[in-house]
Amino acid sequence: MAIPQAELRRLAIAKHVIFVLVAAAVIVPFVAKVYQRDFKPTSYAEDLFQKVHNLDANTRVLISLDFDPGSEAELLPMGVAILRHCFQQRLIPVVMTNYPSGVDLARTIVEEAVAKSEVDYGRKLTSGRDYAYLGFRPGGVNLVLNMGENLKGAFQTDYYGKPTEDMPALVGVQSLKDLKLVIDITSSAWVELWIVYGADRFGFEYGAGVTAVMGPDMYPFLQSGQVIGLLDGLRGAADYELLLQRTEVGKLDKTGRGILGMTAQSAAHVLVIVLVLAANARFIFRRATGREKG
Amino acid sequence: MWYKRTIPLLIVFVAGLLGFAHEYVPHPIAGRFREEVTTAFRIIGGFALFIGAYSLLHMHLTRIRRRQPGWAYSGFVFLGASVMIFLGMVLGTGPLVDPAPGELTAFQWGYDNVLVPCNATIFSLLAFFMASAAFRTFRVRNFSAALLLGAAVVVMFGRVPISELFGELLFGADGRQVFPKASQILMDYPNLAAKRGILLGVSLGAIAQSLRVLFGIERSYMGGGD
Repeated sequence: MAIPQAELRRLAIAKHVIFVLVAAAVIVPFVAKVYQRDFKPTSYAEDLFQKVHNLDANTRVLISLDFDPGSEAELLPMGVAILRHCFQQRLIPVVMTNYPSGVDLARTIVEEAVAKSEVDYGRKLTSGRDYAYLGFRPGGVNLVLNMGENLKGAFQTDYYGKPTEDMPALVGVQSLKDLKLVIDITSSAWVELWIVYGADRFGFEYGAGVTAVMGPDMYPFLQSGQVIGLLDGLRGAADYELLLQRTEVGKLDKTGRGILGMTAQSAAHVLVIVLVLAANARFIFRRATGREKG
Repeated sequence: MWYKRTIPLLIVFVAGLLGFAHEYVPHPIAGRFREEVTTAFRIIGGFALFIGAYSLLHMHLTRIRRRQPGWAYSGFVFLGASVMIFLGMVLGTGPLVDPAPGELTAFQWGYDNVLVPCNATIFSLLAFFMASAAFRTFRVRNFSAALLLGAAVVVMFGRVPISELFGELLFGADGRQVFPKASQILMDYPNLAAKRGILLGVSLGAIAQSLRVLFGIERSYMGGGD
């Protein structure tokens, strides 16, 4: 059925108005510095936070940052928040990526978290001793299987070219079997792959941080216990930042990127809801008056 | 022809059987086998990166040669690749050279200031198109669509912190969690049930397909159809 010209013109105008409204909804909260911090973190974010919080000092935690710059807005704040939490708890994060296009992004996350943590926790953090950034190795699933047999064989040097064999950050870690916790932050199917080829085989506990659009896919794994905690989209990052801030009142800055983004996200969601409801109210009215079929 | 059909089928069967069987053999030899095989796969995977780069550049070169619509954009692929290769390999500031922690190389600068903003910009456009598409196409034409709209509104609203302020405004201090809880119930039950059903279906399909390949029933991977 052909759409009348007048209707097409109306839709085109509506499209441009919507673009302006979305831009305003996203930009104004940042410009006006309106930030909401009094919200309750989700239980799944709290589960992951508590798992990290209750690990003994010097426990090695593998953090796989499996995303590229396209998902930076949602996932970078998660990576920084989790790494800062590790440094706060004197854990030793071992960071890697399965994305060749995410190698430098992962490095940025590690170095940002290190720089902030050095200020917040007042101690010098040294690569290879207090943390390790292993970078990227090709292989995908085969890399995970390989790490399950011999982690230092899979990564013979770290990102900075230092041999991993005698690296203090990897003492006692021969394979994935020696890790208690692995956290994957990803924008792709890596959660399923880490579960099937990593957690279920080698027996470590596994937490995930994913983009909001992937969040609903994670619920079967949460219920089965294969994922012990979940950060879901920018809200997940904000939840984690909030939980971290509650343990460090007055010490950490209150403007983590996740929390900063919450007002803009609230405004955008409300705007979409209002738009959809308004369009449907018009549709129902027109159908009731016989001006629209459907 | 046996060497074109039988030998590949035999290789697939034996390799598949070994890949399957070593999981059930709790012996160090099985562990070493797994390590060797996965290392070999990773080496092959490394070559795939070169094939990927070649394939990408070849496709864009063909577009430029044939002057296909939008061929000028393909020029930017070569421009971007050339600049980054120059920074990385000729100036020696890229991933082939080990940087020091905290050191900002020219390659890293290009990545941080060109690739990251470009990718993030493309991804952020989704917000505009999704809002526009939802406004123009999401109509309650029947009961199912009304259910979907109701669920979408509850989940979208309950996922953002402002819903707690609305809850407090409408139901008092005890009502802050009304909308987040409603959203969570939808995610924890109907969403979970649907996702699990899909997951089981996909997994059973993958197992069936693997068995078909293993036993030579599915042969399309060899080319030339069944």
